[in-house]
Amino acid sequence: MGQVVDFIKGFFPKKKKKSKTNAEELRVDFRARYHQFKLLLNANNKSLEIMADIERALRLGQPFGMSFVKATCTAISVNVFQMIKNLAELGPGKHNELSDRFNGIQHNIDQLLTERKEVKDERLIIPLSSIDKEMADLVGSKMANLGEIKNKIKIQVPEGFSITSASYQKFMEHHDLQVEIERRFQSADLENMERLYTLSAEIQQLIIRSRPPEDLHEAIMNACRELEGLEGGEMRLAVRSSALGEDTAGTSFAGQYRTELNVSPEEIVEAYKEVIASKYSLTAITYRLNRGFRDADISMGVGCLVMLNAEAGGVIYSRNPVDLSDHSIFINSVWGLPESVVDGSVACDLFIVTREKPIRVIQKEIKVKEKKSIRRSQDGVSRIDLPRDMGELPSIDEAQACILAELAIKMEAYYTLPQDIEWAIDPDGTIYILQCRPLQQMETAKIALPEDMIRPDKKDVVVRGGITASQGAACGPVYLADTGVDILRFPKGAVLVVQQALPRWASLLNRAAAVVTEQGGFAGHLANIAREFGVPALFGVKGVRDQLNSGEIITVDAGGLTIYKGKIDSLLVESDIEKNLMQGSPVYDTLKQVSRHIVPLNLLDPDSPDFNPASCKTFHDITRFVHEKSVHEMFSFGKDHDFSERSSKQLFYKVPMQWWILNLDDGFNEEVKGKYVKLDNIASIPMLAFWDGFVAVPWDGPPAIDGKGFMSVVFRSTRDTALTPGLRSRYADRNYFMISRNYCNLNSRLGYHFSTMEALVSDRVNENYVGFQFKGGAADYQRRLKRALFIKEILEKFDFRVEVREDNLIARVEHHEKEYMKERLQILGYLTLHTRQLDMIMANDSEVRYYKAKIERDIRELLLSK
Amino acid sequence: MTQLEEVRVLLVDDEVEFVDTLAKRMKKRKLKASSVNSGEDALEFLGQHPTDVVILDVKMPGIDGIQTLREIKQQYPLIEVIMLTGHANVEVAIQGMEIGAFDYLMKPMAIDDLVYKIQDAYKKKAIQEEKIGERLKASAV
Repeated sequence: MGQVVDFIKGFFPKKKKKSKTNAEELRVDFRARYHQFKLLLNANNKSLEIMADIERALRLGQPFGMSFVKATCTAISVNVFQMIKNLAELGPGKHNELSDRFNGIQHNIDQLLTERKEVKDERLIIPLSSIDKEMADLVGSKMANLGEIKNKIKIQVPEGFSITSASYQKFMEHHDLQVEIERRFQSADLENMERLYTLSAEIQQLIIRSRPPEDLHEAIMNACRELEGLEGGEMRLAVRSSALGEDTAGTSFAGQYRTELNVSPEEIVEAYKEVIASKYSLTAITYRLNRGFRDADISMGVGCLVMLNAEAGGVIYSRNPVDLSDHSIFINSVWGLPESVVDGSVACDLFIVTREKPIRVIQKEIKVKEKKSIRRSQDGVSRIDLPRDMGELPSIDEAQACILAELAIKMEAYYTLPQDIEWAIDPDGTIYILQCRPLQQMETAKIALPEDMIRPDKKDVVVRGGITASQGAACGPVYLADTGVDILRFPKGAVLVVQQALPRWASLLNRAAAVVTEQGGFAGHLANIAREFGVPALFGVKGVRDQLNSGEIITVDAGGLTIYKGKIDSLLVESDIEKNLMQGSPVYDTLKQVSRHIVPLNLLDPDSPDFNPASCKTFHDITRFVHEKSVHEMFSFGKDHDFSERSSKQLFYKVPMQWWILNLDDGFNEEVKGKYVKLDNIASIPMLAFWDGFVAVPWDGPPAIDGKGFMSVVFRSTRDTALTPGLRSRYADRNYFMISRNYCNLNSRLGYHFSTMEALVSDRVNENYVGFQFKGGAADYQRRLKRALFIKEILEKFDFRVEVREDNLIARVEHHEKEYMKERLQILGYLTLHTRQLDMIMANDSEVRYYKAKIERDIRELLLSK
Repeated sequence: MTQLEEVRVLLVDDEVEFVDTLAKRMKKRKLKASSVNSGEDALEFLGQHPTDVVILDVKMPGIDGIQTLREIKQQYPLIEVIMLTGHANVEVAIQGMEIGAFDYLMKPMAIDDLVYKIQDAYKKKAIQEEKIGERLKASAV
C-alpha cells in the first residue's frame, strides 16, 4: 500500500523545477514520449495476444507445426524486447536489470527449441549385412528391422544397403534446403488444403532439382557397384523410405513416403531424391501436422534392396488388427509383386491360419485377381491384366500359407509385439521378407446394449457387406471422391466414399467422419492410418458408390458391416471420444515446455516488494512490469514541468469534479491555460465513452448495510489508515485520467477500492483494447472476493475476458470496432460508480440479486439501447 | 493523422514477385513505394532518393539484411528500418533491433498491419526530425 501512496504522491512534485524549455519544444517532447509509449502499448498488446494464442493452441489440441512454435516464440521475444527498449527510452538507465532477465528467459527458450537429434555416426552408406535394430537412428526403423531379421533372426531378406540419415542431413544442408523449407512453412496457412498442396509440390520440386553433394553421389554409386558384384551381374533395386521413427509402435506413417521399384543403378540417385522428397508429400505433411511430429526430427534414411521377380506376394498380420480377442494369423496375397495389396488397389486372397499347432488354414477367400504387378524390362513396374482362369487361382497354396504363418509367429515372438509383414516368393519358391513393422491393433468396439436397441429398422439399411478396416460408427454426408481435386474440395465431417483404398486419401482422414471403399482390405496403408486416427472404415463394399448420392446423410457402422440412411443415434453412442493426437506429441510438448517460460504471471501486485525485475520469471512478468513502469514514467514526466499547459487539469463538468486530467499528446481540443478543463474540450474518445457511462445513471448512494457489513468496515478502518476518511492522504483521494485522442488510462480510488482502466480506441481495430483492474474494498476479504466475482459475472455477460485472483479482478476485451469498444467503456464507467461500496451487502443474497438485476437492466436499457 | 501520401517507402527483398506485388498494393494505399532486390541496390537507391521507411528482408544473397541495416543506420540514422522475414530467427531479430531496426515482422503479414507499422515508423521519424528542428531553433536563439 505504501508504494501506491508514494506513487500517487509522486504525481505532485514537492518543488517544481524551473524549466527553460520553450513551450514548442516541450510539446514535441510530449509527442515523442507519447508515441514511444504507444509503441510500447502496442508491443504489450501483441505479447498478450500471442500468449493467448499459445494457450489456445495448447487447450484445443488442434494440429500445429514447429513453424508455428518457432514463429510464435520469435514474435513474443521481439515484442518483449521492444517493450524493454521503449521503457529505456522513457526512463533512461532505470531498468537495466530487465535486459538480463530477458536474456535469461530467452536462453531457456532457445535451449528447448534447438534440441535436435544429432547423428553421430557419419557413415553415408551401410550394407544391410551389417545392420541391426540398434542402428535405427542411423538407418531408420524399416532398414534396422530388416537388418535384424536378416542377420539375427536369420530369415531371408534380399541383399541391399542403407543410404543413412547422415546422408540425408548432408543433402539437406548442402543447399541450405532445410532453411528454405522452414521459410516456406512459416508463410503458409496450414489449414488451407489447397495451399498445403501447392507447398508440398513446391518443396518436393525443390529437393528433386537439387544436386546431391559430390561425395554422396559417389558413395551411392560405389554401393551399387559393390552390390552388383555380390549379385553377379545386372540388377535392379527397390528404393524405399526408412525414416527415423517411421513404423514404430503407435505411429505408422503408413504409405506416406514414396517407394521406387525396379530402379537401375543409373537412375538410383534420381530415385533417392524422389524418396526423400516424399517426406513433403501432402499425406506426409498432414500426417505430421495432425500427429504433432517435428519436421526437423524426421530424417529420411533410404533403403535400397535388390528387386525380386516375385511370383506372388502380400502382407501377413500376425494378429487380427480389428479384434484383440482373435489370435489367428491373417495373410493377404496376390499374384506378382505385393504392392497391390499395400496400396489397396486390387482384390486379394485371404488366408486365415491358426496359431495353435498343428498350424492349418481355417478359412480362405479366393478372389478374382484381375491384374498383377510385374517388373518391367526398363525401370519401373507395370500392372498387367490377368487372364480370368489365372486370376481365379489361389496365389499361394495352403502349405505356403502355413510356412508364412510360422515365419510370422517366429518374428512376433522375437519382437514380442504383433507384426505387419510384407513378403514375396521368388520363382524358385524362396520366401523373402521385404518389410516388417509393429501392427496397429484396435480394440473391438462392442456396445453393451440389448440387441434390439442397437438394431435399427431394416428399411434404413442402404447396404451390408465389406470388411471392417477400422472399428466404430459415424454419421455424415456422403462425399464421392475420384480425383486429387477432391482432396481439396472434401468438406470436414463428410463420409469419404472411394473406389480404391489408395494411400493418397489418407490426407483426408483428419477431416472425414468415416471411410467407405469398394476395393481394398484391412492390410492396406489407408486402413492402418484409419485405425491410428480412430476413423471408422468399411472397405471392400462392392458397388456401394452406385447406391449412395453425394450429400445424403448416412451412418456407417464399420463393425456391423452396414451403412444406414440418415442418422442412427443408437449406433453413435461411443464414437464421441475423439482421439487427441496432438497432446503428448513432440511438437505439442515443445510448445508446452516453452510456454512455461512465457505465459505464467508471477508479478501480480505492483505494491508488493517483489514487484521488481529480478522477480521476473517469464515474459509475461516482464511485460507486466514494463507496462506498470511505463505508466509511472508517463506520469512523472508530466509532473516535472511547470508549464501550465502541460500540467494536470481538474475536470470541470457542471462544477469542478474530483477528477484530474493529464494530457499526454492530443487529448484536448485546444490548449488549456487555467486550472480547469471543461468536458467539451476533451478529445479523448475512450475517456468520453467512459464518462458517458459514469454519468448515465445517478448513484443512489451507499447501500443500506447490515450490522455485520458495517462492523467489518469499522474493523478494517481501524487498521488501515488509508481507509479512514479523516486521515486519508489528500493525494490518495484523487482520480487521474491520462489521455490522448485515442488513449485513456484511469487510476481511481472511489470509496475504498482502487481501480485502473486502460483503453486504446481508434480505427485500427487490431490495436483496440480495454483493460480493467479492480482491487480492494472496505469490507472483509470474503465480501471483497464476492464483489469481485459479482463484477466478473456482469462483465462476462458483456464479452469481457475476466480473471479473479484473490480479490483482484482483471478484465479485458480487444480487437473490436470503435463503437463496440466505446460501449464497453460506458459499461465500465457505469460499474465504476455503481459497484462502489457494494462489498457491504455481499453477504445478503436477496440484496445481491436486487443489485445484479438493476445493474444489468441499467446497462441494457440506458447504455446499450442508445 | 499521418499523411500516407508523404511516406516514401523502399522495399528490399530478393523475392522479386513478392516485392513487386507488395509495392503495387502499397501504391494502391497511396504510399510512395519503390522496390529493389538486394542490399547493394538498396544502399545505392538511398544515396539518390530521400526515403522515410525501409522494409528489409533479412535473408538475401550478397550483403545480407543485417549488414544492410547496419549500413543504413550508419549513413542515414533517421531512416526507420522494418525487418520483414520469412525465416523466424530470434537471434537475428534481437541483433537487428539492437542495431536500431524499428521492428521485426514475419511473413505472412496482413497488409493493413504492415501499413500501420509503416505509419508508426514514419511518425517516429517525423517527430525525431521535428525535435532536431526545435533544438536547432533553440540553439540559434
